[in-house]
Amino acid sequence: MKPRDISVRIGPEVFQNPVFIASGICGYGDEFESLVDMRRLGAIVTKTITLRPRAGNPPPRIHELPTGALNSIGLENVGFDAYLEEKLPALREKGVPAVVSIAAESAAEFETIADRLGEREGFKGVEINLSCPNVNEEALDHGRNPAFVEKITRVVKDRLPSKAVLVKITPNVTDIGAVARAAEAGGADGISAINTVLGVDFDLDTGRPIFYRGSGGYSGPGILPIALQKVWEVARAVSIAVVGIGGISSVDDARKFFIAGASAVQVGTAFWQDPELPERIVDAFADHPEWMRKGPY
Amino acid sequence: MTAPRLAATAVPGRFEAPLVERVDLSGRYFLMVLGRPLGFPEPSPGAFVHILPPPSGRFFLRRPLSILDCDERSISLVIVEKGPGTRALRRLSIGESLDLIGPLGTSFPPLPGRRILAIAGGVGLAPLYFYGKRRAAGACSGYRLLYGARTRDDLFLDRFEWSCDNAGFATDDGSHGFAGNVVEMAKREIEGGEYDAVFSCGPGPMLRAAADLARSAGLPHYVSLENRMGCGMGACRSCVVPTIGVNGEARETVCRDGPVFDADRLAWDKLPDV
Repeated sequence: MKPRDISVRIGPEVFQNPVFIASGICGYGDEFESLVDMRRLGAIVTKTITLRPRAGNPPPRIHELPTGALNSIGLENVGFDAYLEEKLPALREKGVPAVVSIAAESAAEFETIADRLGEREGFKGVEINLSCPNVNEEALDHGRNPAFVEKITRVVKDRLPSKAVLVKITPNVTDIGAVARAAEAGGADGISAINTVLGVDFDLDTGRPIFYRGSGGYSGPGILPIALQKVWEVARAVSIAVVGIGGISSVDDARKFFIAGASAVQVGTAFWQDPELPERIVDAFADHPEWMRKGPY
Repeated sequence: MTAPRLAATAVPGRFEAPLVERVDLSGRYFLMVLGRPLGFPEPSPGAFVHILPPPSGRFFLRRPLSILDCDERSISLVIVEKGPGTRALRRLSIGESLDLIGPLGTSFPPLPGRRILAIAGGVGLAPLYFYGKRRAAGACSGYRLLYGARTRDDLFLDRFEWSCDNAGFATDDGSHGFAGNVVEMAKREIEGGEYDAVFSCGPGPMLRAAADLARSAGLPHYVSLENRMGCGMGACRSCVVPTIGVNGEARETVCRDGPVFDADRLAWDKLPDV
């Protein structure tokens, strides 16, 4: 049987299928290569890169809960130079479709990153991470401020007109539609929703939070209904593509995001438990391209 | 100078492994013997498997467990029951299968011609016992394993084949072997005997004491660390520890850059006790 077309267009780019791996889950793509053929996926979103390397947060950084996990990694990354020199060329050589996740402490830094990315090839798009809950710098959590979101999106999109520009937004707001509309106004090709849900847990022996920074980001099956709700809201607020993320641990979970209005999905922390899950979703959608139709059946 | 990185020796895969035998050792300790899945790569001593506790859907993160022994037919693990995940592992029925990824991580290096003193505490016994069994492969010229526990019951004397050159035991209550701390025992042996290297695996304070001992004796030291892990593959950066890299302070993952490190590579002054 001829393989069916399940490609998806996001802005100027076409992805071979609508199944991505979320940022922070599979590092820079090489770590899981003995278990997963990343070339079969729509894209992998690499670990968020900042202009300078970041050390990340003190331990512990991960805490299991009954329906997921809290993390407080703190955007540890190799920095933009090492990413451009080592990580991106390796992905290109292997033929892994990549989306580059970026964060910055100021608009000027976003400009620098986008300018330099504009000189490179070997990636399909960028995802502007305006929603990491695990850092202190104010700019990094400005994702709650629609005016800032619009400004940063424009800074990046103006410099990368031929790439898919996604904006990853936080669920930790009252009106997620307003933030999504701001990204659309800034020229975004798509909205990635959601990042982790702000959460905290306490150590009963010490009476203190588990994490050094107190709160962390909650992910896993427990956030699926929250993510579906937010994607549903975002899809009604904007006319650009929505990439659904949050709590996917089965093919059926992925299907629900399309009903909510998503054009593509990203698998998050469940990947660590079930590394074949993204490929299984690809295969299932290839058998049922009709599942990609948005909205109720 | 920066101590060299160790490299993983196997390419990990994902497997289903059936429980063949479970033995309650003492207190919270138990032994699991799994059927070795077809195609499971040959693990080196120090490598671990990342196991998802049953039942499916109940636990979200895998648990890293060091390999105690591995032959053509089986993989053995010694586990301490710490929480719901390890409790679920203990309750697994014979014949039921576990979802595991492995073998993962670095291993204790072969040191041909060297005499090694290995210091183990608790479930830290696993990689060092495994190394002792593999000694037949000529990994070193002498291997003495010192194992410390609270009491005689926690030494599992009747359960394991102590097939190393020889093994020594220390108990906190003096019920068997050396009365006192296993690192104290190691100190006396290093002063009296002739050793070329130290291996260690066990609780954080024990590892720190072993590192101090090896440093003062001027011996190379390889240490296996434990940490909470997310992915187990080096991607998520949940399990990093402070190390000394070429450009100064660095962070390396226990899951992929470890669990076995050259002790000189670790930034001990910044390392939290596990």
